[in-house]
Amino acid sequence: MPLHEFECSKVIPERKQHAVIKGKGETLADALPQGYLNTIPGSISERGCAYCGAKHVIGTPMKDVIHISHGPVGCTYDTWQTKRYISDNDNFQLKYTYATDVKEKHIVFGAEKLLKQNILEAFKAFPQIKRMTIYQTCATALIGDDINAIAAEVMEELPEVDIFVCNSPGFAGPSQSGGHHKINIAWINQKVGTVEPEITSDYVMNYVGEYNIQGDQEVMTDYFKRMGIQVLSTFTGNGSYDGLRAMHKAQLNVLECARSAEYIANELRVRYDIPRLDIDGFGFKPLADSLRKIGMFFGIEDRAKAIIDEEIARWQPELDWYKERLMGKKVCLWPGGSKLWHWAHCIEEEMGLRVVSVYTKFGHQGDMEKGIARVQEGTLAIDDPNELEGLEALEMLKPDIIFTGKRPGEVAKKVRVPYLNAHAYHNGPYKGFEGWVRFARDIYNAIYSPIHQLSGVDITKDDAPVWNTGFSTSRMLSDSVLSDEVRNSTTLRQYSGGFDSVTKLREREYPTFERKAS
Amino acid sequence: MKSASASAAVVKQKVEAPVHPMDAQIDELTDFIMKNCLWQFHSRSWDRERQNAEILKKTKELLCSEPVDLSTPHDRVYWVDAVCMAEDFRAHYPWINGLSKDEIASVMQGLKDRIDYLTITGSLNEELTDKHY
Repeated sequence: MPLHEFECSKVIPERKQHAVIKGKGETLADALPQGYLNTIPGSISERGCAYCGAKHVIGTPMKDVIHISHGPVGCTYDTWQTKRYISDNDNFQLKYTYATDVKEKHIVFGAEKLLKQNILEAFKAFPQIKRMTIYQTCATALIGDDINAIAAEVMEELPEVDIFVCNSPGFAGPSQSGGHHKINIAWINQKVGTVEPEITSDYVMNYVGEYNIQGDQEVMTDYFKRMGIQVLSTFTGNGSYDGLRAMHKAQLNVLECARSAEYIANELRVRYDIPRLDIDGFGFKPLADSLRKIGMFFGIEDRAKAIIDEEIARWQPELDWYKERLMGKKVCLWPGGSKLWHWAHCIEEEMGLRVVSVYTKFGHQGDMEKGIARVQEGTLAIDDPNELEGLEALEMLKPDIIFTGKRPGEVAKKVRVPYLNAHAYHNGPYKGFEGWVRFARDIYNAIYSPIHQLSGVDITKDDAPVWNTGFSTSRMLSDSVLSDEVRNSTTLRQYSGGFDSVTKLREREYPTFERKAS
Repeated sequence: MKSASASAAVVKQKVEAPVHPMDAQIDELTDFIMKNCLWQFHSRSWDRERQNAEILKKTKELLCSEPVDLSTPHDRVYWVDAVCMAEDFRAHYPWINGLSKDEIASVMQGLKDRIDYLTITGSLNEELTDKHY
């Protein structure tokens, strides 16, 4: 598996250790990109900082909490509302963000007094919220503000409130992943075991590493509730603060994103003897297997099977409609961390796509192991690429679409590669059976958008071609190479779900199952 | 946290891959695990050793119609991964249905050696021995 050196990075020789092409007959034991290292000076990384990883990725999806950053307002602003982790309490944690607005004078004279004033003001402004997380930032970490002491003072003055302190300033790791780690460990050290939950089912689990992007968590917990499982907590999407304090009472930790949350799952196993089951919530087969495994663990496989049969019967014809039209399309799978391995194989198997490159901004070598294991020979794997490397890879690989975040996504658009948001999604949720079809629909719409016919014409040039032939529609473009049998199929159909596939789940009534005699 | 230059200086001694008379079949099973499973990629070597040993042992027991120990919640978690994998092995690689129990045991031991090699002994992942999660 040869290392790959980008032309644009020859002046940064260390970068060669961060990219490989999966070679014929070679294995993970032959080559693996470096990962989770300090960004190399001179390489303009697309990573976030450790504060961002702790607050923006892991902390803020917790729904019934005032999330306050102790630092300059820019830290909070830049981590506000850019990821769509909705919640079923009117998106409280998305609507409001808080900062202590630290200025130069506070750097000189200290900002603890300012912090306390802000905490009290925030609780007063939102009297219905009794929980808070305070996030350390670089500036206040460097001046040595004692956030824990202030939090303790407030909790003594306001005994009905509870405060969690997340000490993960931006410089506390090579990337956002350092922040994921810190908040995982801080939460289990400070908060797990401090609330005793009411157990309402014989089957109790935590759902770990799931952030409710556009409703993913609600789709998955809908399945679990239909199986009669009590989801004690979700770490952290749409999760409640007190639910997460009770994680120690679960019988099983179901782990979705091992990159962001395996730390707490591992510690829950070591400290509370709760087993960890890694699952894939994306893709029909991986999801069906995941539900079956959870069902088998609890001895209720029949309930899982009933859901799987119902969902696949409903959605398979729609997934297959898109698969016929996406067959062979080349993908650069360039998400942040876990989706490179969650999606790598199943988008090939179930949508007919061909992954030509995987990359990760903040993943560790373990993520690359999983990703490279799942892709085909010839695939380019890159760790922490810079923008020029991304452009060079697009030029070399000529993908039909790129799945990535906003920053590289906008760059890709400029070189006319359709981009789909792999972090916050375009029209998610993408988890669940219906969600997987929504994902296929979004891919189809991106690749076959009629806009690409016009976007390559430079109308600033005098000799630009005159556009007088009219546009081809998406269907005209996608169906021109299909057989009559497929084109005129009466069983295959496009996505037929609604615009909003989540809100209806909040009103759903779930079956009650008789409890076993204790 | 490592610096790039410090890490690049560390070169792991290459470990030889295990060899087995049924390597072609083991290749197929290994490819299936690598593309479809997650259990083999826990973050530390001691976890990978336990996962590989327990899940592949239970898979072998299922394939050989032997009793499987389900006495603890941890056993049940290993078992659920093993059940799905054993079913997939039988469905995708019908040659396995024609093997004797001894042959299945031998293939599964070879498979465990291969997975141990790829994920632990031959792995280039430098985080595997980090003492803290």
